[in-house]
Order: sequence, then C-alpha cells, then structure tokens
Amino acid sequence: MNPDGGLYIHVPFCHAKCEYCDFYSITLLDQIEDFVEALLREIELRAADFREVTFTTVFFGGGTPSLLSAAQLRRIWEALQANFRIDPQGEFSIESNPGTLDLPKLQAFREAGFNRLSMGVQSFNPQELKFLGRIHSVAEVYNSFENARMAGFSNINIDLMTAFPGITRETFRHSLEAALALESEHISCYTLIFEPGTVFYKRMLRGELSPLGEDEEALYYELAAEVLAKHGYRQYEISNFARGDHVCRHNLIYWKHRPYLGLGPSAHSFWQNTRFGNKRSLSAYVRHLKKGELAEDFRETLSQDDLMFEYIFLSLRLREDWIWRIFKPASGSRFTPAIRQRSSGCWRII
Amino acid sequence: MSMENIRNFCIIAHIDHGKSTLADRLLEATGTLDKRQMQAQVLDSMDLERERGITIKSHAIRMNYKTPEGKSYVFNLVDTPGHVDFSYEVSRSLAAAEGALLLVDAAQGVEAQTISTLYQAIDNDLIIIPVINKIDLPSAEVDSVKHQIMELIGCEEEEIVLASAKNGIGIEEILQAIVERVPPPMGDPNAPLQALIFDSQFDSYRGVISLVKVFNGEIQDGDGITFMITDRDYEVEEVGNLLLKRVRTKKISTGEVGYLICGAKNVRDIKVGDTVTHTKKPAPKPLPGYRQVKPMVFAGIYPVDTQDFENLRVSLEKLVLNDSSLIYEPETSSALGFGFRCGFLGLLHMEIVQERLEREFDQTIIVTTPNVVYKVTTTDGEMHFVDNPSKMPEPGVQEKVEEPLIDAHIITPPEYIGNIMKLTNDKRGILKNTSYIDPSRADLHYHLPLAEVVFDFFDRLKSVTRGYASLDYEFHGYMESKMVKLDIFINGEVLDALSVIVHKEKAYEHGRMICQKLRKLIPRQMFEVVIQAGIGSKIIARESVKALRKNVLAKCYGGDITRKRKLLEKQKEGKKRMKQVGRVEIPQEAFLAVLSADD
Repeated sequence: MNPDGGLYIHVPFCHAKCEYCDFYSITLLDQIEDFVEALLREIELRAADFREVTFTTVFFGGGTPSLLSAAQLRRIWEALQANFRIDPQGEFSIESNPGTLDLPKLQAFREAGFNRLSMGVQSFNPQELKFLGRIHSVAEVYNSFENARMAGFSNINIDLMTAFPGITRETFRHSLEAALALESEHISCYTLIFEPGTVFYKRMLRGELSPLGEDEEALYYELAAEVLAKHGYRQYEISNFARGDHVCRHNLIYWKHRPYLGLGPSAHSFWQNTRFGNKRSLSAYVRHLKKGELAEDFRETLSQDDLMFEYIFLSLRLREDWIWRIFKPASGSRFTPAIRQRSSGCWRII
Repeated sequence: MSMENIRNFCIIAHIDHGKSTLADRLLEATGTLDKRQMQAQVLDSMDLERERGITIKSHAIRMNYKTPEGKSYVFNLVDTPGHVDFSYEVSRSLAAAEGALLLVDAAQGVEAQTISTLYQAIDNDLIIIPVINKIDLPSAEVDSVKHQIMELIGCEEEEIVLASAKNGIGIEEILQAIVERVPPPMGDPNAPLQALIFDSQFDSYRGVISLVKVFNGEIQDGDGITFMITDRDYEVEEVGNLLLKRVRTKKISTGEVGYLICGAKNVRDIKVGDTVTHTKKPAPKPLPGYRQVKPMVFAGIYPVDTQDFENLRVSLEKLVLNDSSLIYEPETSSALGFGFRCGFLGLLHMEIVQERLEREFDQTIIVTTPNVVYKVTTTDGEMHFVDNPSKMPEPGVQEKVEEPLIDAHIITPPEYIGNIMKLTNDKRGILKNTSYIDPSRADLHYHLPLAEVVFDFFDRLKSVTRGYASLDYEFHGYMESKMVKLDIFINGEVLDALSVIVHKEKAYEHGRMICQKLRKLIPRQMFEVVIQAGIGSKIIARESVKALRKNVLAKCYGGDITRKRKLLEKQKEGKKRMKQVGRVEIPQEAFLAVLSADD
C-alpha cells in the first residue's frame, strides 16, 4: 500500500447557508466547541489505523473553517501532529469566507501551519453575490486577499462560480478579470448545479429559477478556460486552473485514487480499497464521539471492478493523459471488457 | 317451464345511463340475488369492465319472476357489450332476445350509441320498452327526454316507464312491462336443433364456455353436436342455466338461453354467430346473421425491455383464449426489436387489450401508432391489403390507394355544431345529412376516413363539445384517397416504429410535429443528430439535435466518490432502456411520447 495520503477536516459551520450549497453545514455557531471536542476524539480513535500513512496534505474544508478561532485551530493541529505522521513539506489548506478574514486571523492561520488559503469569492459583482446568498462584499474580497498576502500566504486559491441564473457574459468576464488582477496561484471555476435538497433546487421546482441550457453553460465554461489559459493558468482538472506548479495536491489525491482520511461530520475516507463516511449530522457525530465511538454512516469495500471503474471516471477529470495507461494502482490488472462497458458514457456526468 | 312463460330481453343504454344498476335491481327484485350476494354491478365481472363502466363481454343471467297475480315467469337478461367496436357481438346478443329495455338517462337524454344499438334491435324485431332512468335527479328533464324517445321510436307517452334504478323506483313496472310487452320466444321444440352462439369465454378448468339461445329443438348433455359454420363436431359435456353461477340442468329447451360446454379448448374454435345443431339430425341451414369478424385497426405491440418478448408472446397466447377477435403475428422493428403486429376491432378494443396485457399479465409494452387497412393497387394491377406501413408499396409503383370509410353519427346539442364542423373538416369528413331528434339535439351524419378517427378524433370531439356530443359509427366501404407513407429518419436511418400512412395534405404537418417532438426527446450525443421526415426519398421536415457540449460537474466535495459512482451506475441503468438506432441512442420515453402523439 502506498503510504502517502491526504487528511481532510470538515468544519460544518457557516454564518449563513448559501442557497445553492449542499455541503453539510449548520449555522448554530455555539456548537463549535462541542465539535472541536468531538473532532479531537475522532483524531485519537482513527490514529491507530493510519499510523503508517504519511499525510502529504491537510485540508480544512466546510462549511467555513475560518470561523474557528486561532486557539481552536491550534488545538486541532496539535492533535493532528500528535496522532498522525504529517509531512512537514506538505500542503496545508484552509477554506475561508472573505467575510470572516482579518489580518490577525490570517496571521494565526499561518502560525497554526497553513500554507495555502482558499477563498470562496464566487463573483466580483455585488448583485450576484447577493443572489448567491454570500455574506461578503466585493471590497472585503480585496481586503482579505491583501491581508492574506501580508500574512505570508504565497499559495492562494480563488473560487468562482459560473452559469447561474442571471449571470451574463459581461459580469462573468468582469469576475474573471478581477480574479486575474489579484494574481492568485490557483483559480477554481465551478458551474452551478441545482442539487436536490438546496433552496435553489426547490426554487427551480417551483419555477422561480431556471438552469441555463447546456449550450449556455458550455459557453461560460469555455470562456473561463479560454481567458484563464491566456493568462497562464493551466487547466489541470475540469474545474481547476493553476499557475506554475500550484496545483491543489489535496484534490489530486481524490482524483488519483490515493488514500485519504476524512474527519468531522459527513467527511469521507478511502483507505485500503474501502470507502467510508461519517454521519451527516453534527449532533449524531458529537453524541457518538462522546461515547468514545466513531460516527460512521456507511462503509463499503470496493470490488476490483468498482476500483477500475472509479479509476477511469476519476481520471477523466484530469488533463493528464491517462486513458491507455495500464491500470496499476492495486493489482496491475488491465481493463477488462466488463470495465470498458461499465465506463461507456461516463463523460456525461463526470 | 313452457315457452309461453319465458321472456328474453336485453338492456340498451349509453355508458353511465345506469344499465348495470338497473340489472342489479332486477336481480334483487326477482330474488335472484340477495343483498349479501350483491356486489355492485354483478354483470360486469372483469375489473376493467367495472372500472370503465362498460361491458366488454356478453353475459346472460336467469331470473324467476312471480307476478302479483301469482304467475311464474323465467326472465333471461342478455347483457350486451356497450361499444361500437363490438357491434357484431351486440347484434348476435340482440338476436338472442325478443325484447329490449331502452334505458335513457333523464338528465343526459338520448345519445348516439343508444341510437345505433336501438336500430339494430329494431332490425332484429325486438319489442322496445322505453325506460327513463334517474328521474329523481335534480337535473332530470323528464318531459324533454320523453319527447326525444317518442320521436325516436314513435311510441306513446304512456308506454314510457319512469324509473330510478338507484333508488328502486319503477322496478316493479319494468318487470310487469317485460311480462306484458315482450313476446315469448317462438320456435318449434320438435324441429331439428338450432342454437345460436352469442358469446364465448374461456375457463381454465372447463375450456370454452359458450352462451347459447335455442331457437328450435332442444340440446342435452351427451348430444353429438355440429357447429354449422366451422363444421366442427363436439359432444355436449354440460348445459345449463346461468344464474349468478352456472347451474347444470342437463337440457336447454326451445326459447331458452343458457350455457354450453363441449370440450373446445380455444375460443377461436367457436365463432360468435355460429349455429349449433345435432350431428345426427342436422338443421337444413344455420341461423342467419353470421359474419366473419375482421380487425379494423392494427398496431405493433412491443415489450419495453426486449428481453420480455417471450413473456409477451405467452401473455398474448393466454389473452386470445378469451378474446377471439384479437389477432397477432410476430414482427420485427429495427427500433423496437421483436414484437407483434396486432389487429383489433377498433380503438377501444386496442385499449382494452393494452390494459389487459398490462394489468392481468403485468407486461410493460409500447404500442405503435395504430393504422387501418389500406387497399393499394400497384401498377401491375395487383391489389394489396396494407395493414402495416412497412408493407406499403413504393410510391412509384402505386396505381391507387383506397382507405376505409365509416358512417358516423354524431349527436350533439346544436350550439356545438360549429366546433364539430371545424373538427370534421380537419379530419376530412363529409357531412351527409343533419337531422334533429328534438330542438336540443342534432344528429350529424358523416362519412369519415377511419384512419382519422383512429388518431384522436374521439378525445377531440369530447373536448370541442365539452363532453356533450356522442359518436357512433360503422364501417361503410373503401374510398380512393391520396395516402402516403411518411418515414422518420434519424441520421439517415429509418425509425420504422414511427412510420405512418397519412393523407398527403397532412404529411407535412405530421412530419414536422414528430420531428419537433423527437428533437426535444433525443438526448444530445457526441455528434449532431439530424431528424427528418420524408415521403419516399423526399424530405419534408427537418430538425437537429446539436452535439453535446462539454458537460461540467461541480465539486466532488470531501471526497464523496461513492455518491458519484452511484450516480454513474444509475445513469447506466437508464442507458439500458435506450434503443440504439445507428449510432444514436434514443430513450424509450421518446418513443412512448411520440407514439402517444395527440397534440
């Protein structure tokens, strides 16, 4: 088994829930402390199984991890360091909401050990930010970005969203250009998806919002790829663009079928051909861990076919020339006819 | 029981005018059934019949009636199917009776279907007893309906019985009218046996059970019998009366109605309208009125999942045991795979077959656009019956095409005549005559191409007249017509399941409609898909489905690959239901949507 892996911490808190988002998060900020306690427990419980892995990336996602206080972050980090083997040269990312960042906080992130900052900007147009339900302003984006640089972040990602109702070619171009002007190392550009369970989805069912047509979506997608490429951002994954070698190493672990451990409610893990995930409920998570037990929701061991199938569809997300490479990760076996058949048509929803 | 005391009668009524309820009341009043045995609408025994409120198979039931003066009578109620598709069966059932109750809803008045069955009854010399039902409804218009009836059958006002079957009003009067007005059956008990088969059903234990009326002579258990039309010999296993259940009597005498079991294993072996006689002492000739029933409407039936072909075949085999008018033969479609070409008496019959396959046999099927039988004369002088668009000769070798025409009566309140004219005009109808049953009811007599009626005529008629008009029709003959075969092409390949024969002037509109529908239903592929409609090699409509663009999905958060994989697996399930036409994958739903084309 390959001893390299990624570590993911899911911080399920937000000031406000964005109407399009279906990641697990809640707005009851008074429960953050309970969460941290439970997380520390989970770290200890998982330690034994993952002792041999060297974690080359750590990613705090959410939710809004930047809602955690400097002290809380420090405690989590100390627990991680104490229980897992973490590569000191690793990539340590934290997702943040530009509305929750100030210089001291950013400095605290740096001191805690983070070396990569991901900012959920989404748009540089005030009306669009409002439509998406974001709490930050455009001015705060500029401020936060500047502060991040001052705090010493030399690897920053900007998340942009596209193809949502109301966006125009002009507003999107403006967002792209504004992001480019900041010269971040990495830009992610995601197409809006109406996910079941979100407010947007309900509004779509009620006919209040209608998704853009496929051709329209493609236009925005192509516009992003074209503009970003022109400015030296390489599209190494369908929605991710990086300057130089600043690819997100953590995300690549997912796509490249490497092991990873997810901690926190709703976090998923992949280890020794087994996928498992935690319960998507903070209270259940806290309750189980208080009793000293894991809060797993499911666990499935993948068959050889499943593995190959995943390998193909995950690889399809990447620019890297993968397709006729021999399937190696687990067994060295080649693609079977069954696998070829299973994979046909995958491009449609990858 | 002497023939003098037998009364055979039927009930003529439009759907919903209360025929089954009246039958239930009569059974109750004569003590044939007690309340405990009552199941709403005893006569309609199939689920489908109860649900749709129509009778598909004929039935017969015997009642014993004692008049207030103490005289005993035997009543045989012969229940007839209630739809034009089964008009031949109706005519045979009518032939088994001497009288008919003409049941008219006091609020709805006389309807087209009632009239045509009524005329058939009059043609069969049945005595008509007019009954107005539902007289206690707030919306009842008894006087106006009385006038309609008097106009229609030329009776006196006093002859009309007023009733409410639901609330038991007028039941006794009806029973007495049957005694007094319906003549006893005629016939010679000593003459050679002549018994009319007026319907048959299949019973998995006993084989075919036929309903018979004995016109002359008598029939007994063990008799050697011959069916005169089919010329088949059998031995009588069992005869008897039909009460709620079969009651074996060993003998059916002249004038009586009963059932006959003779060991036939297939309803096809025993034709409705055939005459039973004794093999040793045969009657000189069969009873009049036999006709070979021919299907009028054809359509392909395919399993949705091609692997279910064998199941479908077995289901059809079982279904025809009880439905002698359905015919089928295997056919292949490049788009739908293996299936069957089926012939039906009419649209309702087709719907019934479809529903029975789905319900009783649990089949998931696609039914292609129905078509009628065309007579095509080719340049070599030969005549072809074309019951399938794929058999249509090429336009170049066609000398002439003839299509079936129907004689249709539409009965409607006069305010809808304008709408009906517009609709019939659109359907290539020719108005032959307009008459008025009374000032509030016009009878429009049309010649209409059957093919047009097969499409969506009835639904549209109902919608343009807000449900007030009623339609009845019978086959009239063939008429030369400019019919063409319209094909649908997907990237140059014919989608045979969607080929139709249409009138030349409608081909363009129809072709465009199908192309537009398909454009919305065919998912994007990696290449452009061109959908065309054409006559021969001439393209008359075109649409295209643009090639698939890059399809981008959002974040796969926190490494939840499992969900993504399951989504993909699910999509693959969906792909199983796609039909491959050339390189193009077409979802099953597209066919269903196009084949259910009604707008």
